[in-house]
Amino acid sequence: MLSSAQIAQLELQLNKLFDQCQVVTAAVVATIDGHFCAQKQRANTYSLERLATMGSTLMSLGDTITAELKMGGCDNVISENREGIVVFMHVGRDLVLVTLTTQKNALGMLLSHTRRCVEELTKTL
Amino acid sequence: MSNEIKLVFTGSAGAGKTSAIAAISEIPVINTDVRATDLTTLQHKSKTTVAMDYGELTLDDGQKLRLYGTPGQQRFDYMWRILIKGALGLIILVDNSGTDPIGDLARYLDNFRGFINETSAVIGVTRMDISAEPNLQCYYDYLGERSIQLPVFPVDARSRESIVMLIQALIAMLEYGN
Repeated sequence: MLSSAQIAQLELQLNKLFDQCQVVTAAVVATIDGHFCAQKQRANTYSLERLATMGSTLMSLGDTITAELKMGGCDNVISENREGIVVFMHVGRDLVLVTLTTQKNALGMLLSHTRRCVEELTKTL
Repeated sequence: MSNEIKLVFTGSAGAGKTSAIAAISEIPVINTDVRATDLTTLQHKSKTTVAMDYGELTLDDGQKLRLYGTPGQQRFDYMWRILIKGALGLIILVDNSGTDPIGDLARYLDNFRGFINETSAVIGVTRMDISAEPNLQCYYDYLGERSIQLPVFPVDARSRESIVMLIQALIAMLEYGN
């Protein structure tokens, strides 16, 4: 499990993500086995503890599918929906970052800022 | 009965679901095991299933079994609901060396109650060689208190013979009724 200093780092980076990318509605970090670590959302809309666990499931399925197809590691899983987009990304070997937006045309923004956040998290943890 | 049967293995984390499917599958098992990070899970094993296991087994009469394993922890209960869809039978594995095996059984009976009422299930108790108590009679007494009639077998999740016996019991129940 993460130390309180590491969780503070996660929260700092999520704050930065929200400052830099206005389309992000919510973000959550989980361990690879589905334990909630940190979250941020613009309004208190979602139960992000469940999303954290689902993030680990989705990334694991992504890894399993790409291994089956011999496509290398899974970088991210994208869920495009009628009322928004959800992006799942690995953070190093042990964490998963899930971000979401309710704007249907913001996939590029969401992906690029989520990727930048992952890079920052990987550097700092 | 269809020539293809979907069976689901569920039960507490570390009870042997992944091992059981690996013991009998005739294809390389598809699993979604990741490193465990919590001490409770790490007491039993270094990896844990976060989505599902999948294997296949063809019986002597040509019936193909599609075998799915669920994650054990309650936080993954959404996967339980996904994986049970279309299943014909349920195998509940209980780790007898855990802190509260009867409580573990109760949790899975409660979560899968609707499914068990409609179809059928068998219970396999693992690690009885490590912890002999509760004994099988304790399980039957508990099931009796709840007016549930399901067979309980001591099993070794790593043993093909043991798991095939469990599956044969379940298929017999499905074919001939409980």
